[in-house]
Amino acid sequence: MPERYLHALSLADAGAEDLAATRERLKDRFPRGATRRMTQLGLLIGAALDELTPRPDDAIVYASSFAETCALEGYLDSFPTASPTLFQTSIHPSAVQQALIGRQHAVGEFFPLTGRAQLVAHAVQAALLAPAPRVLLCGGEERGTWLLANHAASDRTFAFALALTREPAGALARVTLMPTDEGGSAEFTLPDFFAALRARLAIDQLAAPGLRLGVAWL
Amino acid sequence: MALPSAVSLESAGCLTALGDAPATHAALLRGEIALRARPVLGADGGESVPLALAPGRGFDETAPPNWLEGVRALTAAIRSDGWGTARRPVFVTSSNFGVGSLYAFRRHGDAAHLAYGTPHRSVEWLARELGWGENVTTVSHACVSAHLGLLLATRALEAGLAERALVFTFDFISPFVAGGFHALKILNAGFPAPYAARATGSIGLGDGAAFAVLARGAGDFAIAAQSLHNEMHHFTANRADGSGFAACLAPVAAALAGRRVWLKGHGTGTLEAGRLECEALTAAFPGAPLVGWKGSLGHTLGSCGLVELALACEAIRAGRAPGTLGSAGPGFRDNVAFTPLDVRGTDGVICTSNAFGGAHAAFFLGHA
Repeated sequence: MPERYLHALSLADAGAEDLAATRERLKDRFPRGATRRMTQLGLLIGAALDELTPRPDDAIVYASSFAETCALEGYLDSFPTASPTLFQTSIHPSAVQQALIGRQHAVGEFFPLTGRAQLVAHAVQAALLAPAPRVLLCGGEERGTWLLANHAASDRTFAFALALTREPAGALARVTLMPTDEGGSAEFTLPDFFAALRARLAIDQLAAPGLRLGVAWL
Repeated sequence: MALPSAVSLESAGCLTALGDAPATHAALLRGEIALRARPVLGADGGESVPLALAPGRGFDETAPPNWLEGVRALTAAIRSDGWGTARRPVFVTSSNFGVGSLYAFRRHGDAAHLAYGTPHRSVEWLARELGWGENVTTVSHACVSAHLGLLLATRALEAGLAERALVFTFDFISPFVAGGFHALKILNAGFPAPYAARATGSIGLGDGAAFAVLARGAGDFAIAAQSLHNEMHHFTANRADGSGFAACLAPVAAALAGRRVWLKGHGTGTLEAGRLECEALTAAFPGAPLVGWKGSLGHTLGSCGLVELALACEAIRAGRAPGTLGSAGPGFRDNVAFTPLDVRGTDGVICTSNAFGGAHAAFFLGHA
């Protein structure tokens, strides 16, 4: 059964905060001038990862259903004179790239995942199966504007990052994926996962077909 | 000599502007160029740029998306096996998914497009249409996406979480993505000439979809030595010393020491990345011939790794690999092959892809 131990956890719930407020609040966390073109999700993911002090041999798994919503909205609105900056910023894994490019921090394995109902299970699976000694599992969403009004964006802004290793000593929690033959609905979304992490709730549920996700706080 | 960490490739296929994998392979051997000059924003006009569309497909978005029929024809070749259930996971990879539908919605206001615009909506719709279950992992890492799907599927098999795995990839171009690359000025009126030592570089874009069925211990082909590296140096540029390319290729070269290989590079037609890629591949695999096919097919974006894997399988079966299309010598290095290769005496091919953010991916494909 794939398992790892959670050794550090960083959570950011931006609530109703707008991009300007987030940028002002977090600007000292990034290299000088780096925040000017960062998205709200990039700032939050970057700050969450920063608290875990990424190492060169970490693998990173990133989960987001909608990713760079505001950059995508801005890029779509820029036509017919398409914005090159918003195009590259709107690409799915841009939040992590904004953070790590700002620090010139190379990584070997980087798995950006998307999806909805089984996204958490599959992101955890990617993290538990990575051979790296430590895996940083991060994710989040940013609140949309006109895409949200059309049910194509998140209605809240949040981010998280977990440091997962194979070392049980000193761990905060044990994270497992148990293969199972049980049937039934398998839905556990990113906001569900964030809420459970925030409240430090134990998780033990079918999270994808054939996969029971477990988080046991120690 | 056993391959390190090999997984068997049970079957593979692709759809390009030149047709399915056998048809595309044959056309590339004949030197056909699929790219055609078309307005970058489709019905909204703009500069004519090189685009390669799947047979019979229009460039402007429709609702439902007009690429479904091509995907249906492609996936009809996959043996039914309860895909998307617990031990038969599907790994879907793409760079764009259905985002062209959001462009169509924003430009023209038809809410019918919204049903396909987000990654999960497009994949959930595709899964319903193709009869897959819910066990679908969805990967989006721009133009190395397909490589990540292969690696995640390999690990699920190795961990016993899957008995067989289907990796499926698709990227059908739209004004959304063509407009973006045009804004970056690397998609323009010029046609791509991968690995050619010329004054300016440019790319073309193409439709692509492909699949691979992976399993333990079956199939004619094996995939091994899968490698990833992410420079995180710049969104659209690589480290000038080529160290990002070298970091990805080093473990592949070490795993395959002593084998005779040919090289299927990324080769989009950009100048600086093409030169760095060519130099790194030549240094890691001295004497191995290098080819790239995007000068004909265009850059098929997130699907390119799997599209070109399917074409590499055809090349190995036939004993002949298409040369670098759209280009003529001199190349960046003498090992760039501009004419078809006889690959019968080789052990297999190194396939590479690169993406925004300095992302690099590579694997070896050979006989099992």
